[in-house]
Amino acid sequence: MLAWNFIKHFPCKNLSRHILRDSRVRPLCFFTSSTPPSSFSIFASLSTSSSSSSSSSCFTDEPFAAPYLSVRIHCPKHALDPFSEALLCFGASSVAVDEAIEEADQDETSLASKEICIESIFPVHEEVKMCISQAANSIGLKEIPKFKVEMGDELDWITKNQDLFQPVEIAERLWIVPEWTSPPVAEAVNIILNPGFAFGTGEHPTTKLCLLLLQSLIKGGEAFLDYGTGSGILAIAALKFGAASSVGVDIDPLAINSAIHNAALNNIPLEKLELHLAPIENSSSGREIPLQKEQFDVVIANILLNPVMNLADHILSFAKPGATIGISGILSEQLPNVRERYSPFLEDISVATIGDWVCMSGTKKEEFIDN
Amino acid sequence: MAAAAKEILTRRPVAATIRLTVPAGGARPAPPVGPALGQYRLNLMAFCKDFNARTQKYKPDTPMAVTITAFKDNSFEFTVKSPTVSWYIKKAAGVDKGSTRPGHLTVTTLSVRHVYEIAKVKQTDPFCQYMPLESICKSIIGTANSMGIKIVQDLE
Repeated sequence: MLAWNFIKHFPCKNLSRHILRDSRVRPLCFFTSSTPPSSFSIFASLSTSSSSSSSSSCFTDEPFAAPYLSVRIHCPKHALDPFSEALLCFGASSVAVDEAIEEADQDETSLASKEICIESIFPVHEEVKMCISQAANSIGLKEIPKFKVEMGDELDWITKNQDLFQPVEIAERLWIVPEWTSPPVAEAVNIILNPGFAFGTGEHPTTKLCLLLLQSLIKGGEAFLDYGTGSGILAIAALKFGAASSVGVDIDPLAINSAIHNAALNNIPLEKLELHLAPIENSSSGREIPLQKEQFDVVIANILLNPVMNLADHILSFAKPGATIGISGILSEQLPNVRERYSPFLEDISVATIGDWVCMSGTKKEEFIDN
Repeated sequence: MAAAAKEILTRRPVAATIRLTVPAGGARPAPPVGPALGQYRLNLMAFCKDFNARTQKYKPDTPMAVTITAFKDNSFEFTVKSPTVSWYIKKAAGVDKGSTRPGHLTVTTLSVRHVYEIAKVKQTDPFCQYMPLESICKSIIGTANSMGIKIVQDLE
């Protein structure tokens, strides 16, 4: 299977160290800490994903299948707002009020108009009863509201989320198509994707902006760097437009996983697409991404304001002088900061906008003063 | 936001109102965001990207109070508020959790000055601006008491 070929390019050396540093990333089933960064564990994960590549559930592994408690609480209508706020203070992760509840669903018609149903999510270890009673006490409710606890149905929201992804037409003859759908326009440039839980389906304004920028820049034969590759959509698009090679970098191992899968879906040979897991904290000593400086003709970083500001020198260093650099994932109100940060190093800066989002691009100056 | 006002005027049918706490810059499509928004078929990635972008100016991982209005056509609007009152109280008091038996067991104390400072921050929230500072203070004191944190005039 094509997916196996990517193991060679997968930077196995320091993988486990990178992944375990971020406490926000839930324990991954395939990266075990006890064994050394073994290609064995990676083989195991890739083999499951490649064998079930036809099913959309291949990315429903441990991290997002985290259990949760789904609690339905009956709350007096007049206390809805304070009670919701109080629940959040005392341990609820989220509180949702369904506006569309039919009155016929209520048990007693006399109470139908006085009570409302709250759908709440709690972490598994939380003492739901205690939270609810503390919340009720804190706002002065005389009785503890009735409630019912159920184990959360992980698969339910995951499938609902994947169902949302429909083919997207970015430009004439450029489509992004989910793995489980056939392309609406067979002759167009179709990028097949299963993003899993990585960012980049083509629907977001920033992805669109970057894809359009890429389409205008790639003439054939360029070396492209996708910093913050997510699902790999930009890296794959560049190759489809005629780039000679693409490199995708991300701090999230799930993104790298998704990108590997998507490259296989688009029949990208291993020599053309390299993927690297970047360290989360960019220290100047050691722990660098194994890439040469000044290697790329086009560099795009579609992330967020803070990383784009903090990593500016880093991102710029990989571009050849005269290369084009695109920065996105930023809101138009954040543009002045980014422009100020990058303008010492870029000339011919131009900005494209969709809604609140912008993409800033420019050419790296031939020489810049190192200070 | 002008966009929000426009939506109210055009009366898009609302499917649900969702409230949750999300760390600034740290929204991910996992619980609680995943199931909470997924139930109403909202685009998780779009929310995460949007929320993370709009909370870049806060200290990373500060728990933000988000209110999302989900419309029947699966679109959504959201507002982000400054951290929850309980978060501020815990931070000011330097404790991790409130008391397990509020009213009976006091975990620690805070001064009225703390309450005042927290109230001032909360008053900058979009929907609190009309509330008199005194009401906000009372609400904070109430939350603190129910967490087992006593408010005193001065800390020694």
